[in-house]
Amino acid sequence: MSVEAVKAPIAPVVVQAGDAEIRRLGLRLTLPAQLLLAFIVLFPLVMELYISFTDWTPLVGKNWVWAYRYWNDFDNYVEVLTNARLWGSIVRTFVVMIVCVPTELLLGLGIALLFTGDFFGKRFFYSILLMPMMVVPAVAGYMFFMLFQSGGPVNAILSALTGSQVAIAWLSHANLALAAVMIADIWQWTPLMFLILLAGLLGVPEDQLQMATLLGAGRWARLRHIVLPRISRILVIAVAIRTIEIFKIFDTLYIMTSGGPGDSTETISVYIYKVTMQDLEWSYVATIALFILVVLSAVAIPAIKRFGAAR
Amino acid sequence: MARIELDHVSKRYGDVVGVRDVTVTIEDNEFFCFFGPPSSGKTTLLRLILGLETPDRGVVRIDGMVVNHLAPAERNLSMVFQNLALFPHMTARENLRFPLAERRVPAAQIVSRLDAIAEKLHISHILHKRPVHLSGGERQRVAIGRALMRDAACYLMDDPISALDARLREETRVELKRLQREIGHTLIYVTHDQEEAMSVADRMAILEAGSIRQIDTPQTIYDAPNCRYVAALIGAPSMNFIPGAIVADRFQADGLAWTLPVSSATGPVSAQIEIAFRPEDATLARGGAGEGLNGAVLSVEPLGAFTVVVVACGSYTVKAMLTGQPKFSIGEPVAIAVAPRRRLFFDRTDGRRVGAEARIAEAV
Amino acid sequence: MATISLQRLSKHFGTFSALHELDLQVRDQEFMALLGPSGCGKSTTMNLVAGGIDASAGKILFDGRDVTDVAMGRRGVGFVFQNYAIFTHMSVRDNLSFGLRMRRLHRTEVDRRVSAMADLLQLGPLLDQRASGLSVNILQRIAIGRSAIVEPAIFLLDEPLSNVDAAFRAIMRTELKSLQRQFKQTMIYVTHDQLEAMTMADRIAVMDGGVLQQVGTPLEVYNEPRNVFVAGFIGSPGMNLLEGRLYEEGGAIGVDLGVIGRQRLTEGKQAAAARRAGLADVLLGFRPEDITVDAGNPGALKMAVSFVERIGHRVVVHLDAGAQQVKMVARNGFAATLGAALPLHPQADRMRLFDKASGLAIGVE
Repeated sequence: MSVEAVKAPIAPVVVQAGDAEIRRLGLRLTLPAQLLLAFIVLFPLVMELYISFTDWTPLVGKNWVWAYRYWNDFDNYVEVLTNARLWGSIVRTFVVMIVCVPTELLLGLGIALLFTGDFFGKRFFYSILLMPMMVVPAVAGYMFFMLFQSGGPVNAILSALTGSQVAIAWLSHANLALAAVMIADIWQWTPLMFLILLAGLLGVPEDQLQMATLLGAGRWARLRHIVLPRISRILVIAVAIRTIEIFKIFDTLYIMTSGGPGDSTETISVYIYKVTMQDLEWSYVATIALFILVVLSAVAIPAIKRFGAAR
Repeated sequence: MARIELDHVSKRYGDVVGVRDVTVTIEDNEFFCFFGPPSSGKTTLLRLILGLETPDRGVVRIDGMVVNHLAPAERNLSMVFQNLALFPHMTARENLRFPLAERRVPAAQIVSRLDAIAEKLHISHILHKRPVHLSGGERQRVAIGRALMRDAACYLMDDPISALDARLREETRVELKRLQREIGHTLIYVTHDQEEAMSVADRMAILEAGSIRQIDTPQTIYDAPNCRYVAALIGAPSMNFIPGAIVADRFQADGLAWTLPVSSATGPVSAQIEIAFRPEDATLARGGAGEGLNGAVLSVEPLGAFTVVVVACGSYTVKAMLTGQPKFSIGEPVAIAVAPRRRLFFDRTDGRRVGAEARIAEAV
Repeated sequence: MATISLQRLSKHFGTFSALHELDLQVRDQEFMALLGPSGCGKSTTMNLVAGGIDASAGKILFDGRDVTDVAMGRRGVGFVFQNYAIFTHMSVRDNLSFGLRMRRLHRTEVDRRVSAMADLLQLGPLLDQRASGLSVNILQRIAIGRSAIVEPAIFLLDEPLSNVDAAFRAIMRTELKSLQRQFKQTMIYVTHDQLEAMTMADRIAVMDGGVLQQVGTPLEVYNEPRNVFVAGFIGSPGMNLLEGRLYEEGGAIGVDLGVIGRQRLTEGKQAAAARRAGLADVLLGFRPEDITVDAGNPGALKMAVSFVERIGHRVVVHLDAGAQQVKMVARNGFAATLGAALPLHPQADRMRLFDKASGLAIGVE
């Protein structure tokens, strides 16, 4: 059977633009959106910078534009560097970070490694594991608030386990409240590490693992020599993401403890919130905000560079 | 109908040269092949013709019309990519229908053409399956079929059958050639398998690092390569080269007691040349004490239809390919002779073939 | 000593039988090729020998030791994957030394062996480079070195040259073969390319559909194929197989090939066996390179040229008559016009008869 000629209409001729022309056209078309974005990003930054050199608060009755009348040079900056309560909250935030991030990482990695194999009910557990992440943080805060009450479920379980009656008032003790807050964070964000690391683990070539086995590598050797080196970049990103986020920890924590008892769970965000909303020292807060921006950038930019170099 | 012309086309990618000053005319209805080692520019040329790249310099013409700035869809070309790019969510039949269905060709015509092409490519029995359920070979044939469905001016294929089993490749290349003759349109083909290239091509272009070295029929390229690069590239087992010099009308091999008479009519021949001959043109005589190239057998490779005998001649290794299954023992002394017509000479400085038009003296 | 014995080895996945009762003996230091088309079971066999998958039935013995149930990491075989599976995040040195480090060899010993291996494979200058981005040629050497350095007696290679450019393949084949001789290993090499098997192997095991078809030296499977599959698979092109009926005329036996003609059989053993078996429908086999064009021979077979391939040193002429096809290999320069009828004369002592029903060669013990 011979193949008959079939005529199909050819698409109309369109002259194709060169690469440079396309780029310029794109630039011109998106210029309004770019200007808007620039404005949205830069304006608050400039405003903050401006009022950080003043003593202005909304209590003076005038608009922030007139803040120059209350110029106080670097007083706010000195305050930032010396305020004991501020630094206490920073230290506390770091404590939370140092405990939570590695815990979330290790737990997430462990669970992800489990999920590279097959086991009964894998799909079911997968869905369950992702649920904590989907809970609204404030709701999670309230949930843990209830859990950690003296007559609450946590104590009930501990009573059952130890045999004696346990009635710890978690959220009324300084260190225990911090522990409770950290437990809440670990519960909510381990799934994120799990997801990111699982994606990375699935990208490890199966044949290289087989080859390693053939050469005599056991499970731990394979983990150490093949798996971990290959997911190192993803690991770094996961840690960077989580570190930056945890620095800003607020909603869950605030609902649980409001920063209390006293200031024992007052992290930097809680502190800023209180100074802004209760004390209304907005120029001081602006200074703190700028300070945090610089610190976080110092963490984020190297991490991003490392990712970008990962080809 | 499509005549494709590349006129002094060059393309660079940053520091890397893709193609350099390529000029070639591919005639209408021709099965044309670009051949060369990896990174020699074959795929770049296809992409330039297709329109996925624009040349930095030079002009691409289809049927005399300059198409440098035309998008691929406007050039009326059909391409089979190396990675096939089959639609995974469609059956093979739907994949085949796609090019024409999109252009609103009447259903009856699509069906008849589809059935004809499927039969030619031996895929009629698997048309209802999705690509994920097909073997590599079947997928490749579906991809080729899909490209052939459109009545394009010219078909482009980038190594379409390399993933098939050796046996299936041999059969499919014959089918492709027959199909192209029947459909009657220009087909531009890229491959790194030289047997395949020589079998299917009407003419082929040999590429080296982005430049074209020779454009000719496969047989001419095989029998009369115009430079050392082409001579060494084409032919398996590859050509034997022995350096030497022309001294007083005789070729004297370097480091060997072997000379050949050479006609003085070879013209301006430089002193530094190489003699080259193909393994199948070498005859072996037992007992290496004669006039020819003497040596001892290093290894014997029986390939069934042919036997490759590797001979150590001084510091050189010479391969001879003999028909049938003659028996030689390792270490046996032999003498190699090559018919004068089958000897080639290349200039050692620039690789040019020399003495092409000369009549080389008949050896006794 | 490293012999491999596969005894009634079988593997099925559900109802699909990938390998059926394979019996194969590989000798010490032998280069054995497993040859067959895709899906013939050769890769399954390799995986079974390596221990990557479990056998459904049968035994695997290394030097008489039953390793059928031994885990992959403990079998002591070297394996080269099709895509080499190089640890691309490590240096060349770390790749080569991996197996030794897993065995907790002393650092100095490891370095010494790595140096020796690198010298052997000409990888010296690359030792401290990262293994990713290197050319296929180098990757192949690293893959072999990495597996060879732990000195396994048995080496398994799964189509290691299929990703290699055709031009390099010949060079790399030679390299592989000389490495095998150097390391004195027993090697099983999987390929679908019969030329590769013929070039490299001491013996070839031809497989199809999960069943072993024939085992023999390259010349044995070429000259004496046991069935039509082997006859058609070995050789480029494979053996021609024409359908016909046996006839006897005046004491001589021949095959009646319909419109093509009649071919007298002069070879004694096959003719006698055919007569004894009383078979009628046969396949007459002869290789494309064993045909001469013989206008003077009245008994020549007549077929018309339908296609010509000029491939360098040989010309493959496709001929047909009726529904049957034949290919002929002639020397460079052979003149053939499309449509011309050629009188073909297959070489008498190179013809083979096959029983059409069973596909087996007639006259073979």
